[in-house]
Amino acid sequence: MKQKLIIGWLYPDLMSTYGDRGNIITLQKRCEWRGIETEVKRLDVGFDNKQLAICDLLFMGGAQDTQQNIVSHDFSAKKTALLKELIESGTPGLYICGAYQFLGKYYKEANGNKIPGLGILDLYTENPGGNSPRLIGNTAIKILNTEYLIHNTILVGFENHGGRTYIADKNLAFGKVIKGFGNNGKDKTEGIMYKNSIGTYLHGPILPKNPKLADFLIQKALEKKYGKSKLKHLDDSLENKAREIILKRMG
Amino acid sequence: MSLIPILSGKTVSFASKLSGRSGSTWPGHVALSVDSNIVKKITRKNPNLKIILVAGTNGKTTTSKMLSEILEANGKKVFSNQEGANLLNGIASSLISRSNPFGKIKYDVAVFETDENSLPIILENTKPFAIILLNLFRDQLDRYGEVNIIADKWKKALENLPKDTLLISNGDDPMLSFISAKSGLNSFNFGLPKGKASNSKQTSDVDFLYCPNCSTKLDFESRTYSHLGKFKCPKCNFTNPLIYSFDSLSNPLLGEYNRYNINAAALLLTEDFGIGLEAIELSLRNFSPAFGRQEKIKFKNKNVFVMLSKNPASFNQSIEAVLSKEKSPNVLLVLNDRIPDGRDVSWIWDIDVEELVKKAKSITVSGDRCFDMGLRIKYSDGKFEVKENLEQAINHAILKLKTGQTLYILATYSAMLETRKILTGRKIL
Repeated sequence: MKQKLIIGWLYPDLMSTYGDRGNIITLQKRCEWRGIETEVKRLDVGFDNKQLAICDLLFMGGAQDTQQNIVSHDFSAKKTALLKELIESGTPGLYICGAYQFLGKYYKEANGNKIPGLGILDLYTENPGGNSPRLIGNTAIKILNTEYLIHNTILVGFENHGGRTYIADKNLAFGKVIKGFGNNGKDKTEGIMYKNSIGTYLHGPILPKNPKLADFLIQKALEKKYGKSKLKHLDDSLENKAREIILKRMG
Repeated sequence: MSLIPILSGKTVSFASKLSGRSGSTWPGHVALSVDSNIVKKITRKNPNLKIILVAGTNGKTTTSKMLSEILEANGKKVFSNQEGANLLNGIASSLISRSNPFGKIKYDVAVFETDENSLPIILENTKPFAIILLNLFRDQLDRYGEVNIIADKWKKALENLPKDTLLISNGDDPMLSFISAKSGLNSFNFGLPKGKASNSKQTSDVDFLYCPNCSTKLDFESRTYSHLGKFKCPKCNFTNPLIYSFDSLSNPLLGEYNRYNINAAALLLTEDFGIGLEAIELSLRNFSPAFGRQEKIKFKNKNVFVMLSKNPASFNQSIEAVLSKEKSPNVLLVLNDRIPDGRDVSWIWDIDVEELVKKAKSITVSGDRCFDMGLRIKYSDGKFEVKENLEQAINHAILKLKTGQTLYILATYSAMLETRKILTGRKIL
């Protein structure tokens, strides 16, 4: 029987700046090249919970403030409860930048205004305002999570965020910052990893140049749906070359 | 007014010419450091000089060039800032170089292309006769932050101008239509007739699909490209303003997107300079593109077509233009990530390369981030070759051409400059 994954893309036309679509393309292609069928479900404003419930893998990208407000408005208590359930039950997901912040408790704007988040993960974000700069630039991190598929993997990306994120349990940090700023520019943590859900500031987009991470998400989705499964090997020499070049440049 | 800033600017200009250094920003930079109000003072001293500012993500250089050429052909004395020198210091340099030591300028019109981020400060300093807003797309997010931030800055800056200032704005762009309506200025809008792209076509180069007034998703009856088209808000009824389109005029360049540039220029010239459509047509027929914008260059006896492609909207339009000219083109894609290109190359994943990949005869990729561009093509199941060195890439791609064939080079800003240098043997900026 041909395996099939349903990839849920939350708010593609609102939460999608910075080429985040590349993550979806990467997941799709890396499945397709291995004979795994994919269906990308676009979960737009007003989507039905039934659509979200059948997804095997979730993705949500970054956004600008205005767009995020629209999403915030649409994300009802019911939707939040379902997303929490999916995350708790191990549905793999990737949440970039604005989406990562949105999973937390709140986002405090530069003017002091507090926007509530979904409160699914124990973290909060604050924009210090004043003259504190946006945290912008190429980034390299080392994955801390002990999951053997990705442990110690070095990832590259590009971060661009005004908010500083603080996670309650630093043991849940997705990675340790090697170059760049990470969650807040201070504590050297980057992102969060809870069960199979990853929140991170890495654009780039993250998956094309970090195929191990893409495969990890695919593998987890397959395991959850079909039990044990082994991914076919793909030639990642171009991906690795692209990553090495930017790593080398960062020193 | 004091002579010192103008003279110091002129001295620097002379010195930089002697030393072979670019004279397009330094003189203004020095003059501004002597007197930060120098631009204000010079423009105030020349109330009869009509200043036109051209702003927008894509098309600034082409539209400015059209305006200047048509105005000159119709008897006006025109000057403009050098391409790339579109911050306040570039405009200061340009004003200083044309003024006498007392700040007097003997020209009728100044056409200044204006950087998106600097538009507010340039507006404040120049108090222009007219402003053209061409479009607003995601571009260099590492430098500009978010595109909404730019929109917000523009909106506030325009609201502070004298109410008789002319605003010529793109009425097919939801955000610009909103900004124009709220400005309270003497506004006119250009646009295009209904486009072919339907509402259902999902592209990733779009930024304003939601109502700028009430945040409801807009209904698009049709789109020309990206988020430009005929829209209406189902909730608050916000819709396109009355638009002007000059469909009888020729398009000397490839691509429908250039029609927006033509309509913007024609609207300003017919309404406020009394130049007739026949005269505009005459100039358009003789129009040759600005460097690196659909520029044709002969290289080793082969045809090369250089197209600046610097953000998702502009890259998509370049692809469409290439495919409209040739069914099965040979292309070279050059991606750099230097400061003028934007350090973040994420945007290449918002380009729709699939059709090009399907149709291209050959694809070569080069530039500082050639492997990233290679990945973009790989993940569209395309075949391509990577040549890290640009000169080798060009020579390699040229060798693939048969007689009469053209190589299309799509390049980011610094990559375009580098490409031209290799092709022409000269440096322009």
